[in-house]
Amino acid sequence: MIPQVATRSSEWVDNRLGLGKWVRKALDKIFPDHWSFMFGEIALYSFIVVVATGVYLTLFFVPSLKHMIYHGSYVPLQGQRVSEAYDSTINISFDVRFGMVMRQMHHWSADVFIAAIVLHMCRIFFTGAFRRPRELNWLVGVTLLALSIVNGYIGYSLPDDLISGTGVRIAFSIIESIPVVGSYFAFFFFGGNFPGDAYDFRFFIVHVLIVPGIIIGLLVAHLAILWHQKHTQFKGHGATEDNVVGSPVWPAYALKSTGFFFMTCGVLAALSGLAQINPIWLYGPYDPYKVTYAVQPDWYMGWLDGAMRIFPSWEPVFFNHMIPSVFFPTILLPGLTFGLFWAWPFVENHFTKEASRDHNLLDRPRDRPVRTTIGAGVLAFYVMLFTASATDVLANFFGVSLNLVLWAMRIMTVVVPLVVAGATYIICYETNSLPNVGKRKRASVIVRSADGGYESLETRYRPGDEPRELEPEELPGVYVHSKDELVGSVQRAAGDGGGSAGGGSAGGGDGSDSRPTGALSTEGTSVEGLGHEGPRPEGGASI
Amino acid sequence: MRRPYLLPAGLVGAVAVIGMLLFVPARQPAHAQGIGSTGSTVLPTQPTAPSTSGAFTQPGPGAVVPGTAPTTTAPVNPTIAEGRRLFVAACSSCHGERADGTSQAPNLVGVGPATVDFWVSTGRMPLAYPTAQAVIKPPAFDRRQTLAIVSYVTSLGPGGPGIPSVGTSHASVSDGLDLFALNCAPCHTITGVGDALSSGLFAPTLLKATPLQVAEAIRTGPGNMPRFGPGQLSSQQVNDLVAYVGSGIQHPVNRGGAGLGHVGPVTEGFVAILIGLGGLALVCYWIGDRA
Amino acid sequence: MGPQTGSVPPGEGGELAAATDPHFALITRHERRMEIMVALSFWLSIAAMVTLAVVYSLGGQPQLEGAMLGVGLGALGVGVTAWGKYLVPQGPFKQERDHLPSAPEVRQAFAESFKRADTVVGRRTVLVKLLGAAMTVFGAFLIFPLRSLGPQPKKSLDGTDWRPGARLVRADGRVVNTADLEVGGLLIVFPEGFAGSAVSQTDLIHVATDDITTQPGRQTWGPQGFLAFSRVCTHAGCPVSLYEEETQLLLCPCHQSLFNILDGAKPIFGPAPRPLPQLPLRIDDNGVIRAQAGYDEPIGPGFWERGNGPA
Repeated sequence: MIPQVATRSSEWVDNRLGLGKWVRKALDKIFPDHWSFMFGEIALYSFIVVVATGVYLTLFFVPSLKHMIYHGSYVPLQGQRVSEAYDSTINISFDVRFGMVMRQMHHWSADVFIAAIVLHMCRIFFTGAFRRPRELNWLVGVTLLALSIVNGYIGYSLPDDLISGTGVRIAFSIIESIPVVGSYFAFFFFGGNFPGDAYDFRFFIVHVLIVPGIIIGLLVAHLAILWHQKHTQFKGHGATEDNVVGSPVWPAYALKSTGFFFMTCGVLAALSGLAQINPIWLYGPYDPYKVTYAVQPDWYMGWLDGAMRIFPSWEPVFFNHMIPSVFFPTILLPGLTFGLFWAWPFVENHFTKEASRDHNLLDRPRDRPVRTTIGAGVLAFYVMLFTASATDVLANFFGVSLNLVLWAMRIMTVVVPLVVAGATYIICYETNSLPNVGKRKRASVIVRSADGGYESLETRYRPGDEPRELEPEELPGVYVHSKDELVGSVQRAAGDGGGSAGGGSAGGGDGSDSRPTGALSTEGTSVEGLGHEGPRPEGGASI
Repeated sequence: MRRPYLLPAGLVGAVAVIGMLLFVPARQPAHAQGIGSTGSTVLPTQPTAPSTSGAFTQPGPGAVVPGTAPTTTAPVNPTIAEGRRLFVAACSSCHGERADGTSQAPNLVGVGPATVDFWVSTGRMPLAYPTAQAVIKPPAFDRRQTLAIVSYVTSLGPGGPGIPSVGTSHASVSDGLDLFALNCAPCHTITGVGDALSSGLFAPTLLKATPLQVAEAIRTGPGNMPRFGPGQLSSQQVNDLVAYVGSGIQHPVNRGGAGLGHVGPVTEGFVAILIGLGGLALVCYWIGDRA
Repeated sequence: MGPQTGSVPPGEGGELAAATDPHFALITRHERRMEIMVALSFWLSIAAMVTLAVVYSLGGQPQLEGAMLGVGLGALGVGVTAWGKYLVPQGPFKQERDHLPSAPEVRQAFAESFKRADTVVGRRTVLVKLLGAAMTVFGAFLIFPLRSLGPQPKKSLDGTDWRPGARLVRADGRVVNTADLEVGGLLIVFPEGFAGSAVSQTDLIHVATDDITTQPGRQTWGPQGFLAFSRVCTHAGCPVSLYEEETQLLLCPCHQSLFNILDGAKPIFGPAPRPLPQLPLRIDDNGVIRAQAGYDEPIGPGFWERGNGPA
C-alpha cells in the first residue's frame, strides 16, 4: 500500500539515522484517552499559531521609538507624529494585505494560549498528576506559564499605542520598586529614566528571541518528559499503575490530534477575522503625558493589575529607605505565587509522603478533598484579583459607585476564597459518601411482584449509551514484540543510538531500562534511551 | 454515540453563528443610560458620517472630513414669554421661578445660553428623579421650546458662554484625535464609551452626542466636567474635536471585526477565555473519552 | 458493534487476524455516513480555502479572510478528527509501563564511569580549585556588560526639569497666561523648553480662590487659585488626568486613586500612598504663570533610595 517512493526514502533515512526502531515504537505508543487530557494540546497548538503568525509580523514590524509623521491610509492619524513602532503596526493593520488577520490571530492566540495553560495546569493539579514521577514536568510547566505571561505582556507593549504605553510606564514603576536594585534595573533596561528611547527594540528582542527561545526549549523538554514517562490515566477500563490504556499513536491518536490542531487554528482564525482585538488605530499613539481611562492589561496580567488596585495605600519607609507600595502586589505577590506553584508537589509530599512510589493513576478531585479545597480556594483568590482589575468597567457597566466596587473587591478577595474553599470541601465530602456518584445514570423501575413485594430493577442502557466494558488488550499481531530480542537489538543499536533516542529520552540520565542485562556495561549510557521503552519491534520492520 | 456526525456539524454551525453574532457591530455602550436619540432630529445638519469601512481607509490628501454646513441654529422665533411658561412648568419647582436656585438646585442666572441648551437638549433636564448624576434621556422639549427656555433664562441675567458655532467643514480629524487623547480620553476613554468616576459619578458615553452638544459641553463643563475656555481650546480646536467625535468616536473603523464594546482588554479577555478557550474545550469534549 | 469491513487499521494491520476482535470495531454504526461527513468536511475546507485565495487576490477583507480561514481550517480539523475517532478503531489497547529508575547494576556502572575522573582529574586539587576560581571570576564578569545598558540613576529620580522662574508652557510649547485657563479648567503644562517631558508634566488647575485649604508653608503657592500638581501618580506613575470639577478631585485612570485638589492633593481613596507633589507658582507682571521653584520632593512612584523627606 505504501508507495515505493516512500519506502525507498524511509529506507534511505533509516540507513543513515536508524530511526526505524524509534519510529516504530512511537507509532505503537499508547495514549490514554480523556477529554481533559487535551487542554495542554490547546496550549501547544495555540503556541504554534503564535509563533507562526509572530514570524510573519516580524517581517513588517519596526521596533523603534523614533518619531515620524504618519502618512498611511487611516485618515484620522494622517499628519500625526507617531513612533515607527506604532506606524508599522498600523500599516500591518491597514496596508498589509492579510496583515490584520495575522496581527489579530497573533493576539487572540496569545490570549488563548495562556488561558489554555491555566486550564491545563488546573487539570494537572486537581487530579494529582504532578506527583512522582512527574514533579520535574510540573516545574517545567509552571516555568512555562511564568514565561508566557512575561512574553505576552512584552508583546502587548510593543506597538507603542496609548494603552500599552501606559502599561510600559507602570512596568517601569514596578521594576523601579524592587528594593535596593530597582532603580538601577529600571534605568539599565530602559536606557535611562522613563520613557527613554531604547525599550521598544529591547522589548522586541526579548519578545521574539530570548523568551520564545527559552519557551521552545522548555516546551520540548516538557513533551519529551511526557513522552518518556508516559501519560497518566484515570482508573477504570483495566487501567492500573503499571500499564497505559488507550489508543495507539498511529493512526487513531495522530489523526484526532492533527484534526484538533486544525480546529484550534480554525477557531483562532475565525476569532481574528470576526472579533476585533486591540484596535490601536482607535487608541492613537502614546505620549508620556497622554492617557486614557479604562486602561487594562491583557487578561493574564489582570490579577496583578487587580492586586495593584485593591492593595491598601501603604508604603513603609525605614532608615530613609522606601519599599514602594507597588512592590507588594507586583513583585512580592507573583514571587510568592510562583514560589508556591513551584513548591507545591514537594509541599504536598511533605504531608502525604506519596513520593515513595510512582503515581500513574489520577485522583478524582473529590477523592482528595484537602488538595481540591486548597486548589479551589487559591483559584478563587486569583479569579477575584482578576475581577478587581476591571473595577472601573464593572462600576460603569452596572451603574454603581466605583468606590463601592473597590471596597467590595477588597473584601471579596479575602472572603470569596474562604467561602469557595468551604463549599468545595463540603461538596467533596458529600459526593464521596454517596454511592454511584459520577457513574452513568440508568433509570430504575420499581416492579411489584405477584406476592406483593417490591423490587427495583435497573433498566437497560439507552442504545449507544452503553459503557465500553472491553478489557484492554495488547496491540495484536505485528504490534507484539518479543522481549527476548531486547539484548540483541540493544547491541545492534549501540552504534547509532544518539540521534534516534534523543527525542524519547530527553529526561536525562535517569531514563534507563528496567530490565538489567549483562549487555549493558559502561557504554550503556548511550543505549539506555533505546532500551527504556521495553517492547521492541519484531524482526527488523521495513520502515 | 448514535449520530456522531451531528456534533461536528453542530460545532461548525455554532462557530458560524457565533461569528455572525460577533460581526454585528456593538454600538450600544455598556452603560445603563437613556437610550433615546438626543435631539438628533432637531439639529438641521449632522456631520456626514464616513462609512465604517470606506471613507476612512482611503488615502486622502489631507485629514479633513467632508464638510458640512455650520450647525448654528438660528432661533425659530423663540419668545421669552413662551420660555418663561415652559420654565415655570418644568423647571421652577427646583430652580425657582426666577431661576435663582433653591436648596435643591443651583442658580441659573448668568450661566449662559450654552449651559441651559446643553442640559435641556440632552434630556438631562428636567430630572426624572434625583440621582448622583443626571443621565441622558430623550429630550422633553423640541428645538424651538428648548431655545425659548434658553432665551428666558438668558434674559434674567447676562454672562456665561453663548451657544457655540460649530462647523466641521475645515476641521481636521487628525488634530481632533490628538486633542481628544490629550483632553477628553482621560475620562471618556479614548473610544468615547465613558467610564466610572468617583462615588457613583461617571463620564458619559459620547456615542450619542450631537456636534452642538459636544461643543457646548467643552465650553461649559457641565457637572463634574472641567471647562475648556477659548484660551485653552480655540474655536478651530473645538471644531476639530467635534469632527473627531462625529467620525472616529461615533463611527469607529472596526476593520478587525466586532468592536466588543470598545472597552479594551476586559471584553477581549472574556472573549478569549469564554469563546476561544471555551469553544476549544468543547471540541476536546467531543474528541476525547468522557468516562 | 460487530466486526465490519474496513474496521481494521490500514496498512499491515489489514493482514492480521484481528477482524473479529471487538477492539478493532468502530464506535460508529454508520460508517458510510461518517465517510460522507468526513468527505463533506474536506470539500467545505477546500471551498473555503479557494474562497480565501480569491478574497486575498481581490484585495482582501479582514472579516472574510478570517472567516474563510476559520472555516477552512476548522472543517479540515473536523474531518480529520472525525476520521480518527469514528473510522479508526479505538481499542482500548494497553501497554506496559517501564520502571523508570535505572537498575542498580546500571547505576553502579554509571558511578564507576564517573569515578574514572576521581583518579585522573580529582587528584590535582590545586588545579581543580583554580579552575573553579577562574570560572567564578568569568561568571562575575558577565554581569559587568549590563552596566552598558543604561546610565546609573544617581539623583535623576529626585528632580525634574522645573527651575525657579520657569514659565509654564503647554504641550505645543505655547506659554500659559492667567487668561488662558478659566475657573474649573485643567491644563497640562511643562517647564518652558521641556514640552512633552515625562517627568515634568504637571496639571495646572484653576479653582475659585476661596476654596483652597492651604497647606502650612504653601500659602503663596497657588496665586489667584492657580494650583499645579505633578501629573505623575505617586502609585505607579500614570498621568493623573481625570479632573472632577465639582468634587475637586483628581482621579488616576490606572488604579483609581483619588486626590483632593483643595487639600494639597492628598490621596483620599485607592492605592496611592502619597500626595501629588505641588509646584509652587507665581504670576509675573505680564500675567504669565511661572514656577517659584521646582518640586520640593521627588515626583512619581516610590523607589528604594527615595526615603521620606525632600530631595
